[in-house]
Amino acid sequence: MSVRVTVQSMFELVAKEQKRQLLPLTDELLLLNSGLDSLSLALIVARLEDSVGFDPFATIERFPVTFGDFVKLYEAHPG
Amino acid sequence: MRTNTTETTPSELPATTMESFYFPSGEQSLFGWLHAPAGPQASVGVVICKPFGFEALCGHSSMRKFAEAAAGLGVPALRFDYLGTGDSPEIDPRADQVDRWTRDIVAAAAELRRRTGVERVCLVGIRLGALLAARAARDISGIAALFVIAPVVNGKRYLTELRTTRLAALMGMPPVAADNRFGGDVEALNPGLMEFTGYTFSADSIAALTPLKLSAADSPAGAEWFIVDRADLPVAKDFNESLVAAGVPSRCVALPGFVDMCLVSPQYAIVPMPMVEALREFLQGLVGGPQLAAGEAPRIPKSVIQGEGSAALSLPGDGPDSNLIERPVCFGTEAQLFGIVTEPAQGDSSRRAVVFPNTGTDFHMGASRMYVTLARTWARRGYYVLRMDFTGIGDSGGRPGRRDNDVFPAAALDEMRAGIKFMRDRYGIQELTLCGLCSGAYHSLRAAAAGLDVQRILMVNPQNYFWKDGAPLDEGMHVAEAVRNPGIYRQRVGSLQAWKRVFKGEVSLLRIARVYTVRSFLTLELALRDAARYLRIKLPQDLGWELEDIARRGIHIAFIFSTGELGIPLLKLQAGLSLKRLGERCPVHIIEGADHTFSRSGARSLMAKMLTQELMAGSSASGAGDTANRAAGGASGYQEFHLFSGVAHAESTSKNALRRTSSSEY
Repeated sequence: MSVRVTVQSMFELVAKEQKRQLLPLTDELLLLNSGLDSLSLALIVARLEDSVGFDPFATIERFPVTFGDFVKLYEAHPG
Repeated sequence: MRTNTTETTPSELPATTMESFYFPSGEQSLFGWLHAPAGPQASVGVVICKPFGFEALCGHSSMRKFAEAAAGLGVPALRFDYLGTGDSPEIDPRADQVDRWTRDIVAAAAELRRRTGVERVCLVGIRLGALLAARAARDISGIAALFVIAPVVNGKRYLTELRTTRLAALMGMPPVAADNRFGGDVEALNPGLMEFTGYTFSADSIAALTPLKLSAADSPAGAEWFIVDRADLPVAKDFNESLVAAGVPSRCVALPGFVDMCLVSPQYAIVPMPMVEALREFLQGLVGGPQLAAGEAPRIPKSVIQGEGSAALSLPGDGPDSNLIERPVCFGTEAQLFGIVTEPAQGDSSRRAVVFPNTGTDFHMGASRMYVTLARTWARRGYYVLRMDFTGIGDSGGRPGRRDNDVFPAAALDEMRAGIKFMRDRYGIQELTLCGLCSGAYHSLRAAAAGLDVQRILMVNPQNYFWKDGAPLDEGMHVAEAVRNPGIYRQRVGSLQAWKRVFKGEVSLLRIARVYTVRSFLTLELALRDAARYLRIKLPQDLGWELEDIARRGIHIAFIFSTGELGIPLLKLQAGLSLKRLGERCPVHIIEGADHTFSRSGARSLMAKMLTQELMAGSSASGAGDTANRAAGGASGYQEFHLFSGVAHAESTSKNALRRTSSSEY
């Protein structure tokens, strides 16, 4: 499974658990308007660490703005 | 205060008691509840060690259920608030919370022993509470067991998770340090401190927590472990294996329910019954009680408030001999209602009061503990302040036939009436303000509209002004879409990208149609209602008429919103022409850079100043003789509260952080 698909699946799963209405996951989608809150996004990051084996957020200072930026963080990671 | 418990379902369950009190921990006092069996008591007791921050807010009802489950088995259980959390006193923002809270657990275990005479103690720790419990256990003699749920096994990883939450919360916001324009940002004021969704860790706490790990070497001699791991994100398997390898009796099971217990919006929180049942079975094994038959549902007694004791907490005031008193209270005749009253210094005869109803299903401390902070601030200015729980929420009892954790309980109005009556009867209150966030604002409005005896309503971020009993919570979302989305759709109609998504089927045209249909109805309704108002015809469920009627009765009204809140356009849509008529009698403040629950301290501080200003507006407290009020305003006295009251000033001072608009301009 590609990193993108893994990330996308995790967004959809967490949105469902958190009873949140997730907008379609396009690269341009602003995470701020995605329908998820900060707790949901943190939950996604924690679970992705469990499944892909790394946490790219441990060292960054700003959260990605769009869904595309978020995916790139994982795709670009050498991990 | 002592309360009796009644059963949620089976009538044959033995009654248990639930008593609130303050107990010493070092030089401070902590707030706690003791759940004790009415019948024979086991020789083992339980201390519940709560999680940190938002998880503790969200998980409050589960913490209570764990305690009730233990008491129902004959095992007394103490749950309490660490220093600086819940209803306990404040903590120095520079203090090492890890060290302090570990000592608080040791003190709680001693208090449990003193009150019940139990010989051995089982610590039940949730998340960070599990890590703290493991540390505290070394200093508690007679530890029987540690029952830990979703334990933090690695402090550094836990902090990383919190940092991610914080980073995500700051999306689209200015850097935190730049948000200290009004002086209330705790991170700017305390270097190294970090705020996570409204709750802080000091620099020393972060330094202490970073290297901490759950370790088998730290397990107290003779204690056994039961580990409930998260089914969605298991992390404790290795720790369990290390315990077993070290010869420590330990079991580990992964159970579902942690996310629904601690990591959702509190109104969606669900008590994880598989975990409650695991605790019951574990305790039954510990005390030698009977096991449930296979498939038999657990029966847990539930508390109902019955009486009131003499528990009280003394808090520092503004000067010598000006200490505040805080005390748990219960009131209500039909319902069993619980709250905490903060009383001003003795001798204050102003007889002014504020009542806070719940925000959503957050228990009485409020989101980011804001009701506690506001209550203590306003008590220092002479107000009696009650933060109360509706039935089925927080520490109040339930109502037969009604579900718990209901944001809009059908009896809310009766329970507000009971809270108001209690304050007037107990303290001789003459001037009473209702103040609430989100649904707390809604309930305040409904109370005033229903003619309850109040003089002021302060509403922060209401998301709706009418509610149909039994309606699903997401009903508000449909209205939100109808109010917000048409503007977004209009912006996108010329976007090639947007049309590509339509043709790819990524956009629901049905949803857009629904939004426009609802919006059209709302707009039509507004026009009809405005026409009726113009003709002085009163229609049912008319917000504009209600606000005018409330103002006509001399009740001061004020709204405070975060930018982008749904309640802003909805207010305009549903109150229409009446807002213009009300003018300065219904000020609307908008704070930019704030989220719905004011989870950042800078914005929260500004909101508190605005509320204080509106609380004092037209009050006897703003009179020339009110020295406390003048003192709070500094050298310029009361004028400080006007700092944010003018548009021109706001623009020159705050870079649009705050806008105050009279409703006629709005």
